[in-house]
Amino acid sequence: MRAAPLLATATFLVARQLPAQDFLLRLDARVQSVAYRGIQLDSVLATAVVPGANGGLETTDGYAVDCPPGATHCQFYRAGAAQRGGPMVTSADLTAWGFGVRGLSLHANGRLGLDLGNADVWPGTNPAVQLFEGYLEYTNAWLTGRAGRQTERGRLGYTGFDGGMVTLRDGNHGLSGMVYAGFGLARGTALPVTSPALNPLDEFQPRQRQLVAGGEARWQAQRLDTRLEYQREVDRDTRNFVSERVALSATLRPAMGWRLDAGSEYDIARGEFGTSDIELRYGRTSWSAAAGMRRYRPYFDLWTIWGAFSPVAYTAAQGSVRASPSRWLDLHAGGERYWYDASGAEAPLQVTEDAGWRWNSGAGVTPATGWYFSANYRAEFGPGASSRGWDASASWQPLPVLSLSAEGGHLSRPLEFRFSDSRLDWFGGQVDLKAGDRLRCFASAIRYIEDRDRPDAGAFSWNQTRFTAGISWLLGSGADEIPLPPANRRGGDK
Amino acid sequence: MTPRRFLAASLLMTLAIGRLEAQTSRDRFDHEEHRKLFPSCQSCHAGAAVEGQSLWPQSTGCATCHDGTIQKAVNWGPPPSRPTLLRFTHGEHARTVSARSTADSSLACVSCHAPEGARWMQVSRGELERCLSCHGITAAHLEAPDSACATCHRSLPEAPALSRERIAAFPTPPSHEAAGFETKGHGREARLPASDTHHAGVATSCATCHAREFCTQCHVNAPETPTIQALASDPRSLAIAAKLKSPAGHGTDRFQRRHGGQSRAASATCATCHTQESCVSCHRSNPAIAAALPRSSPSRGIGAVVHRQKPATHDNGFTEGHGLLASATPGSCSACHARSECLDCHRPNAGGANGYHQAGFLSRHPSAAYNRQSDCSECHNSASFCTTCHAQSGLSSSQGLLQGKYHDAGGTFLLSHGAAARRGLESCVTCHTERDCLVCHSAQTRRFNPHGPGFDAERLRKKNPQTCAACHGRAIPGG
Repeated sequence: MRAAPLLATATFLVARQLPAQDFLLRLDARVQSVAYRGIQLDSVLATAVVPGANGGLETTDGYAVDCPPGATHCQFYRAGAAQRGGPMVTSADLTAWGFGVRGLSLHANGRLGLDLGNADVWPGTNPAVQLFEGYLEYTNAWLTGRAGRQTERGRLGYTGFDGGMVTLRDGNHGLSGMVYAGFGLARGTALPVTSPALNPLDEFQPRQRQLVAGGEARWQAQRLDTRLEYQREVDRDTRNFVSERVALSATLRPAMGWRLDAGSEYDIARGEFGTSDIELRYGRTSWSAAAGMRRYRPYFDLWTIWGAFSPVAYTAAQGSVRASPSRWLDLHAGGERYWYDASGAEAPLQVTEDAGWRWNSGAGVTPATGWYFSANYRAEFGPGASSRGWDASASWQPLPVLSLSAEGGHLSRPLEFRFSDSRLDWFGGQVDLKAGDRLRCFASAIRYIEDRDRPDAGAFSWNQTRFTAGISWLLGSGADEIPLPPANRRGGDK
Repeated sequence: MTPRRFLAASLLMTLAIGRLEAQTSRDRFDHEEHRKLFPSCQSCHAGAAVEGQSLWPQSTGCATCHDGTIQKAVNWGPPPSRPTLLRFTHGEHARTVSARSTADSSLACVSCHAPEGARWMQVSRGELERCLSCHGITAAHLEAPDSACATCHRSLPEAPALSRERIAAFPTPPSHEAAGFETKGHGREARLPASDTHHAGVATSCATCHAREFCTQCHVNAPETPTIQALASDPRSLAIAAKLKSPAGHGTDRFQRRHGGQSRAASATCATCHTQESCVSCHRSNPAIAAALPRSSPSRGIGAVVHRQKPATHDNGFTEGHGLLASATPGSCSACHARSECLDCHRPNAGGANGYHQAGFLSRHPSAAYNRQSDCSECHNSASFCTTCHAQSGLSSSQGLLQGKYHDAGGTFLLSHGAAARRGLESCVTCHTERDCLVCHSAQTRRFNPHGPGFDAERLRKKNPQTCAACHGRAIPGG
């Protein structure tokens, strides 16, 4: 843990000591105060429970209990201990170039995460230092090569690996092909699947990192873009497949303003189609509309047994519309209706929703320069849970470098499988200061007020106030790049 | 110095300056008032007819009468030389005309310096219309054909004494106000036809008022443009400011979408105003077409300054729905966006990242996660992210599945949980481990079959028999 700040400092100092090179370094630091209060399973002698006001059995201090027939003890959940944390996350994004070879650049993106509180409550802070990407890249008009830790993004998701990647391009015909291979990282994290920080409750953890290899072919034309991806992961220990998938994506622009996006995944290892989408969109300057269908199927690596439980997909129809009837007004609405496939496990004793819907609408108003108001309403209903609520915000920019905002909202979130419905209200404010072209500071405070809709003592309080403060600091040797958004010329060559 | 002495010194200095100024000011000579004294122009202005003679009389000549006794004394002197763009001199003009014909009326001073029908010595500055008329130029002065300019005018660099203020005050020809002049019109006027081999590659009308530096204010391709290079260099030409204006249509969504193809088809046109920096202001990937544009350098103007703006597709709702487009056209995204920008939101274990989830999402996440509007596990590893929190919040089954009835809204949830599990398995695994399920769903325990409709056991066995062995041990069916 002590090495983490040292490593971050060393990275910063090394970046400052490379006067011959150009670099761009963005440092983001953010600290919060958070609190949790979970539940704790407890039991009481069956002879010690009493009838409650609602007719059910309760403990003498008011907790509803579950007393299995014939059991000597009844179980119930009481409030867990309040856990307070102070997650502090510092991320660094470095691009350096100008090593004497045109097109050669170094990229690194990492994070230092610590919990300053008395309990390590914030997820993902172990290990404290995580390197998301760190690679050397060479690129010219027809070739890009990368070596190091990198992330391949596509329809198959985000695949992190330590290895190499080569892309060849034919710019005249819009064709490109890419292959990559390396030692894979676990899904959704920058850690290898063998890390002790993963699978805290699991016993199926692989003993070695998987080999990941894949490739893609792309064709980009004036009206049509297509991309075909293939990826396989192999357990080096057992030589078994961890995954083998292929995906196809396409975007068609048949006429000005019209766009048709579609894509589908196919799980070769399981022999079934995965998540697929198709959406038709029409957009003008003042309004846009979209309609489409999609099919969502959860995906699990083969080293877990979850796929063998046959998770089912749902099919959804969706639509959305946005309009800006005037310069000061922006309206939007969208909705989706979805239906699950038959699970093959329906039981007469338990009825579970097999369909759901969600929709949202909102408006944004700019009554005067520097002012912006927005309000949104959203509701969703589906198997397991539903929610409905609204939120609103007002922001004011009295100076070009200063913005102030206030927000509030309400949420009701009944759960289908548990008597733990709750209503939540929140309000807070944020201040954002651009202290120069390179430095941005922000701070916010939000008060959460929750009402757990239970008739017993399980309706314990979870009210809390969260504070957040942070800075974003841009360092770079190219002064001309400073006023530009961070996307600009990061990888530019000299 | 005492205040009194200071006051006296100031007074004396003021008087001295006033005296000096009075001495340097000149009296104006009134031609008409002297009309009876001078029978000819050449008696004073000999240089107007004879090359080499002075155009102005001696100031001492005035004192013949203006001696302070006969007439009041005057202070007259020849006016200072006034630099102009004119190549005209009286002596040369007279010599040239005389060589052609001694009877040419233009030799008479009044031909240029007196209006038609004016009295003797009712003179004025040279009448411009007289020049045009004598030289057969029927158009107005600033609309004269290109071939006519050099008759009277030198080019700007040939008039080095002309001040920047005078240059800045040059009148604007009507053609410069015409529609399209700022875009293609001025180029057409500046270029000479290929058949014209007499001139130096640029229209004289342009070279009269402008020099190369003037063009570089907008033209970044000036070093490669022969017409501009045909102009001489003269930094004073910057006294006339040129402001680059965006051509009509450049600000539209349509142009933004199509400028890539247009630039490939006519890169030379783009190179008129744009350097490579214009491309990389937005296109992070340094597109190939940029190579066809000049690189910015001190020898060029800065040209068009491009301000990055969002494409029309990036409307307010684009953030929520950009995934589908980005999957198919990552090349388009990477044209402007750095890879690390994706990580700002799509960051594994995004504990400290700004952005993707709005404030208060933690409170809403149970329903969002249950109903799976999106794939949470793409960014969040359920084992390290979800389970860590859920376990600390008491949401784990470490004390046994049959304890506590967490899912208390269904009295018999455990006995009929299958449908819920198949629809929300990703949520189940954030609290439950494989071990919980294998208590019943295993060939080695209670033998409840977990496989649903369409389960391809044979395919899975070939791909990863270890998964099968977790429940079936060594007795994998079909193995």
